[in-house]
Amino acid sequence: MLDEKPKTFQIDARRRLLVLGGGISLLFSALTSRLFYLQLLKSGTFRDMADDNRISLQLLPASRGRIFDRNGLLLVENHPDYQLVAIPEMATQHLRRSSRERSGLPRLLELLKPLLQLEEKEIQSVLKQASRQRAFMPVTVKTHLTWEEVSLIETRVHELPGVTIEVQPQRHYRMGTLASHAIGYLGEVTEKDQNRFVDIDFRSGDLLGKSGVERAMENQLRGMDGLREIEVNAYGRQVRELRRTPPRPGQDITLTLDMDLQQEAERALAESSGGTGAMVMMRPHSGELLVMASQPAYDPNQFINGFLPDEWRQLTQDPNRPLTNKAIQGQYPPGSTFKMVVVLAALRLGKLHEHDTIYCPGYTTRQDHRFYCWKLRGHGSVSLHQAIAQSCDVFFYELADRVGIDAIHQQALRMGLGTLTGIALDGERAGLIPSRAWKRTTHKAGWYPGETLITAIGQGYVLSTPMQLAVMISAIANGGAVYRPFLVKSAQPPAIPGQKPGPAGITPLWHNHFRPEHIALIHAGLEEVVHGPLGTARTAKLNGVRMAGKTGTSQVARHRRTQSGTLVKTTNRRLMDHAMFVAYAPAHQPEIAISVIVEHGGGGGTNAAPVAKRVMDLYFAKQRGETIATTHSPGANPILPNPDDELAEEPPDDANDNP
Amino acid sequence: MRPAVTSHNPVTEPPIHPADPEQKNRNPVEGVLSVDGSTTLGWKERWQRFPWSLILLLTLTSLLGLVVLYSAAGGHLNHPDNSNIQFIIRQAVRFTVGLALLFVVAIAGSERIYRRYAYLAYGISLALLIAVFLFGSVSMGARRWLDLGFMRLQPSELMKVTLVLALARYYHDRAVVAGFGLRDLALPLLLIMLPVALILKQPDLGTAIIIATVGMAVIVIAGLSWKMITLSLCLLAAGLPVAWNAMHDYQRQRVYTLFFPEHDPLGSGYHIIQSKIAVGSGGFLGKGFLNGSQSHLDFLPERHTDFIFSVLAEEWGFVGCITLMLLYLLITARGLLIAATAQHRFGLLTAVGFIALFSFQVIINIGMVIGLLPVVGIPLPLISYGGSSMITLLFSMGLIAHVAIYAKHYRKTIE
Repeated sequence: MLDEKPKTFQIDARRRLLVLGGGISLLFSALTSRLFYLQLLKSGTFRDMADDNRISLQLLPASRGRIFDRNGLLLVENHPDYQLVAIPEMATQHLRRSSRERSGLPRLLELLKPLLQLEEKEIQSVLKQASRQRAFMPVTVKTHLTWEEVSLIETRVHELPGVTIEVQPQRHYRMGTLASHAIGYLGEVTEKDQNRFVDIDFRSGDLLGKSGVERAMENQLRGMDGLREIEVNAYGRQVRELRRTPPRPGQDITLTLDMDLQQEAERALAESSGGTGAMVMMRPHSGELLVMASQPAYDPNQFINGFLPDEWRQLTQDPNRPLTNKAIQGQYPPGSTFKMVVVLAALRLGKLHEHDTIYCPGYTTRQDHRFYCWKLRGHGSVSLHQAIAQSCDVFFYELADRVGIDAIHQQALRMGLGTLTGIALDGERAGLIPSRAWKRTTHKAGWYPGETLITAIGQGYVLSTPMQLAVMISAIANGGAVYRPFLVKSAQPPAIPGQKPGPAGITPLWHNHFRPEHIALIHAGLEEVVHGPLGTARTAKLNGVRMAGKTGTSQVARHRRTQSGTLVKTTNRRLMDHAMFVAYAPAHQPEIAISVIVEHGGGGGTNAAPVAKRVMDLYFAKQRGETIATTHSPGANPILPNPDDELAEEPPDDANDNP
Repeated sequence: MRPAVTSHNPVTEPPIHPADPEQKNRNPVEGVLSVDGSTTLGWKERWQRFPWSLILLLTLTSLLGLVVLYSAAGGHLNHPDNSNIQFIIRQAVRFTVGLALLFVVAIAGSERIYRRYAYLAYGISLALLIAVFLFGSVSMGARRWLDLGFMRLQPSELMKVTLVLALARYYHDRAVVAGFGLRDLALPLLLIMLPVALILKQPDLGTAIIIATVGMAVIVIAGLSWKMITLSLCLLAAGLPVAWNAMHDYQRQRVYTLFFPEHDPLGSGYHIIQSKIAVGSGGFLGKGFLNGSQSHLDFLPERHTDFIFSVLAEEWGFVGCITLMLLYLLITARGLLIAATAQHRFGLLTAVGFIALFSFQVIINIGMVIGLLPVVGIPLPLISYGGSSMITLLFSMGLIAHVAIYAKHYRKTIE
């Protein structure tokens, strides 16, 4: 048998070994339970975190739909914008002369400097940008490269390591200022925009339409951005592409506007006595717009390229408000163009008959206050026919007394005034047609009879937009149908149940069903305005087509008169009257209705009617198939392939029209 | 009072002649050795008594390590020149060299010689540590290496082994039966504290903790009285706040970010967070070999050295982790079994010390990788890429194997 004693140390040590082994096992099971927690209980969380680490999302922007005019003329496209991009890492690999130089980027920029006319300040900002990111991330050296610069770089690209030219689609308004209010412009998305377009999932910095059709048709024009899921390593370098959802491009849109007419309208407004104003040309049987012009205009391209602070201030502080679409946002007293409303009210109520005459001594007196006719000498005894043709104010003062303000108010509303026309554009103003109730609630005052007189000649509280006046004259031209104006072909107003569609297949908002004998009286008077010997618009006769219309002179400031009642001519342009003209043609088979305002232009007959004549003449010349010299369409068919398909094709032609 | 001491000291008594043919002839019965341990075995017997199961476990673990390393290195260096293959070859060569050393130490060596030179080896290690302290080369803010021209020596690795040997020698000479007290503690504590202080100064908190705990483990197994164990545990608890104050800022930062890694996700907490993501995202079965996104896309730090366990956890999941830990546990169990059957106290204590060294490194490394312990820079035994730790480890396993060869078969002796 072995000695017992040496064994005792082992027996005790074994007990201790057991404790040690137990301790180690305990710690191992602690590790195991921790692993159990991490890998089995929380594995989902950590898997998400691992994916967040490795997957990076890149946006593939969808190209925005293009915009054409009614004749297929391309107005807005996505124009390739060339940017010079440099990858510092590659420059370092090829251009560094010694390992002491940390980056080859400064050398590369030295090479680029004479080619691109880079300034020292630009170089510094590029270097600063590059120092803030990893060396393999591209840094933009210059944007908006010209075609010459692009070809210069392309031929030398082997001497410029790390340089690439990137193409990005950029909105390009080929017509410049032409129809800019109708087309609109783009801007960065704001909270307000997000509330307006709740269905669109915007990202911050996204561009969207801020006005015009660009905004109204945002849902169609805007495509669906694609997404690229790429796997990146810890430094953000791309390893591989995991998935790609291609972008869905936006839909192209065709406007109902005719750029030939639009251009003529804008020119005529700019060349008119006031120089600023608005014009709407509409098909009276559908509400389809051929012209929606507002002067002065702006160039939507500027919103893409960016403004200098000075330019922006000029644009926003210009008293002529170039950013306002005066066709739907300009509210003016309609002046004499409102008189048809009063006539129709009087005829409907039986307060006026065909052969009634009223004597005009040049003024009329109510409660010791003189209300003057525009013709100080007076029109003498005038019939309805003459009253319209010569726009006798006293005749309408008298009518106003007969029908009263509330009848006028009601009639005006039925003809589309004082309420939104419903055109699918943001920012439309409703104008104002006063009534007793309106005055009570807003002015907390009673209605004075004198105010009815002023209202009857379209002054006082009455306000309307050129668009509303176009709707009104269209309703007169077509016998009472009030159409919702539209300017996008594919977005015609929806059919209204219970309403019979008009001759163009479009349902009017409502129909007044004027009695034929009443409307005939008005038609005759309106024709006399242009074709009568004393008509206020007799100087604006069209070439070969009879036109019917009504002039208006809307007072901006209270007229000052001498003791004898003679007008004191103002020399302050801001206080001069607006010249108005509404018309349709041909007089007996209206195809086209028009509404013009020349701001501070003076008398409507001499200043607004000739503007309308120019556009009307062009319209009928085109109808007759006469060729007309247009300057805005370079080449035969200017429709280019969508830049997404072929980006680097042709150099841009910027030479199109800025009249 | 001091407990009873055996009158018979099996080691210090007669001088031993290792190759004495007489003694060999005296114990011809296989499996039974003379108690005084002066006996040597024939080559054939040594070969037969060699603990092959331990070698099998070590080899399996290393092979698993090579597989993980292939993935870890492949992600790190995905150059077309197959440098991950280079990693594997170098690590495999190290393992082979270490294994050869293991066999030499286990079969050709002699416990008596190890015992005789234990203090000398310790002394040399300590001298080298002092040399490091005086003129070691600095790298990454720490003074840990001696530049010998042809190689960089890390004396703290050497100290891990020699401290165990020295302590084993000390308690072998004492031959205390059980429950010694303060007086038997003074010198061993000095043996521990001297290198710990020098290594803390480098600074290398991880190695210092490993050396201190392994030293303490040897003392406890050698027979520290339970009263003393309780007392020192209390002292340790009281000493923790003091240690906190003595720590370097970066060490405190490590402890702090361990508990609150989210507070500095891009700075000091980055490693722990990324490692936890790698481990957790592995799930039950893992993402598959070479499919770990965390390691292959460079999110994991130090993934072929200290954080290699995360690579395993990510690609092989819970199943892979459990497999590896089972291997570690089996190695530990086998080692403790060998210690339990050791013929002498020296053999028992060296075996225990080395097994403690092995398993403590495993626990600390995995603990830090999965966010249970501070990141202190301890490699994962047999798996982490690195030469000195592999060689040191296999050398210590060789000593355990040697103890196993000369172990007595307890049951048989009882009969």
